[in-house]
Amino acid sequence: MVLSQRIHEAFKGTVERITGPRTVSAFKEKGVLSVSEFIIAGDNLVSKCPTWSWESGEPSKRKSYLPAEKQYLITRNVPCLRRAASVEEEYEAAGGEILLDNEDNDGWLATHGKPKDRSDVEENLPSMETLEIRQKETVRSIPSYFGGAEDEEDIPDMADYEEADNVIETDAATLQSTYLVAQEPDDDNILRTRTYDVSITYDKYYQTPRVWLTGYDESRMLLQPELVLEDVSQDHAHKTVTIEDHPHLPGKHASVHPCRHGAVMKKIIDVLMSRGVEPEVDKYLFLFLKFVASVIPTIEYDYTMDFDLGSSST
Amino acid sequence: MAKEGSGSILQFAPFQSSVDEGFWHRLSSLKLNKFGIDDSPIPISGFYAPCSHPQVSNHLTLLAESLPSDSNEGSAMPAIIRGNRNRCSVPGILYNTNTMESFHALDKQGLLKAEAKKIWEDIHSGKAVEDCAVLSRFLLISFADLKKWSFHYWFAFPALALDPSATLVDLRPASQWFTLEEAESVSAECNEWRNSSETADVPFFLVSIGSDSRATIRHLKDLEACQLDGQKLLFAFYDPCHLPINPGWPLRNFLALICSRWNLKTVRFLCYRENRGFADLSLSLVGEALITVPQGWREHQSVPNAVGWELNKGRKIPRCINLAKSMDPTRLAISAA
Repeated sequence: MVLSQRIHEAFKGTVERITGPRTVSAFKEKGVLSVSEFIIAGDNLVSKCPTWSWESGEPSKRKSYLPAEKQYLITRNVPCLRRAASVEEEYEAAGGEILLDNEDNDGWLATHGKPKDRSDVEENLPSMETLEIRQKETVRSIPSYFGGAEDEEDIPDMADYEEADNVIETDAATLQSTYLVAQEPDDDNILRTRTYDVSITYDKYYQTPRVWLTGYDESRMLLQPELVLEDVSQDHAHKTVTIEDHPHLPGKHASVHPCRHGAVMKKIIDVLMSRGVEPEVDKYLFLFLKFVASVIPTIEYDYTMDFDLGSSST
Repeated sequence: MAKEGSGSILQFAPFQSSVDEGFWHRLSSLKLNKFGIDDSPIPISGFYAPCSHPQVSNHLTLLAESLPSDSNEGSAMPAIIRGNRNRCSVPGILYNTNTMESFHALDKQGLLKAEAKKIWEDIHSGKAVEDCAVLSRFLLISFADLKKWSFHYWFAFPALALDPSATLVDLRPASQWFTLEEAESVSAECNEWRNSSETADVPFFLVSIGSDSRATIRHLKDLEACQLDGQKLLFAFYDPCHLPINPGWPLRNFLALICSRWNLKTVRFLCYRENRGFADLSLSLVGEALITVPQGWREHQSVPNAVGWELNKGRKIPRCINLAKSMDPTRLAISAA
């Protein structure tokens, strides 16, 4: 972690300790949430999108300003069938540009802008073959996080222990080879299908929700957080998405840094209001997750809900 | 597609395991602060939910909460938090050994048989009808190498093997099996079952459809009521599997229960699956299986053969995860510097 980031974390931690949680609503004015509004919005998300649920997390990490059984929200086993990088190429190949906010392009909503210098793809129109090859390479070249060679060479090779004696099971009723495969019987899919646990915590300092990602490979083994960045829109990887300690769970997890969340949400709320839609605070997380989808476009978590987004659309 | 596989052996997609990092963190802390070298088996809880996406199966998941609490003041609190709709709790047992050698020396067949025996006994005592989660009882063996922060482990999901195997008469998407009216009623009732905190984590249930095409859902213990009012009776379960032509693993012991307790030879079952948290009958399956009740099953004497050790990428080997990155104090110190 960069030093400036460290210093900021220390500062943020101190501020969080000495200031009380927000109690007055500033949702329309600043795009932020008070603790009780976070609970209201979370309850609504859980009831409309039942794949989400509240959890209490590690008892030692519980935040006293949140109810014990509503510490954070989580949806588990969310499929991610393709890497974000390859999706972006496809958009670009199709000449697509998705800009939700043109006038003030601050890098948050402009998720699939012009391609940056990509010397590895000769033209703007990559053929299907080059796409395929790239995908395979990205996925296959990754050293496996666990059991990876690194400095673990004294872990005995499990193959030595392959048990002929102990676990002989011949059973006609067991379906052989059930990988987590996407529908087409295509070898590639085995490599590409990842799943995610997506969690939302309340960030007391920024007074906004914060999204965390825990990735798993096709055999449901934990992915190194750095590999999670492959599923983040490349404009955001390493910049707005950072790897930090989860406030309620052990280990390092990738997270969409919340420093701009309030401003972006304020902008979304302003757009809604200019269209004559009165935003309600219990819909905050739906709007929030909609915008987070621009950062993690291929992770298919659930935030669908019928919105009245006003008449015009960009 | 509708009649695919008819007359063939009914094949079940094995359960898959998934272990949250938090589980290993808590196990390490328990091992260091509480258990020491005591390697007696530890009761644990796994969690699962119906498949909720057309392209991925759900898993039997272990979380930190799967283990007893590691804090001392917390020991008065109930060790297991009640499940919710996304976390149906399933009882399991953990054998954590002190050495790699004893991990490999464990009598895997014997341990699997012992768990299968518990399921068998719960079927015959009627416990499985009252508390159906015991049908999916599981087993985990592990060796936690706390010097290297690596964890070797192997799951088994014991299934009582029918001999001869059940054969499939019919299997198709539930949306094709029900009439439109029935399908609507089944979806509505299932959604209600899943939304009520009383029933959301009850993974086995009965669906009956009256002559008015209206569906009713009941607990297993209310089978007689179902048989009275139902023209169509289905044995339903939360299916973690997403595959279009195979039911998931929990159906195996469910069939064992159905044929040994209720002595049915033809069983109609519903593999209940969801999309985005709501009943999805095009993803759910309805099937009809023929069972020949194996010799000796009604006398409940000998425990049937059991299978269920999880394969690791198709091989009969344990899994290993190394958590040095999040547990090794030296590495943590370096990354914090």
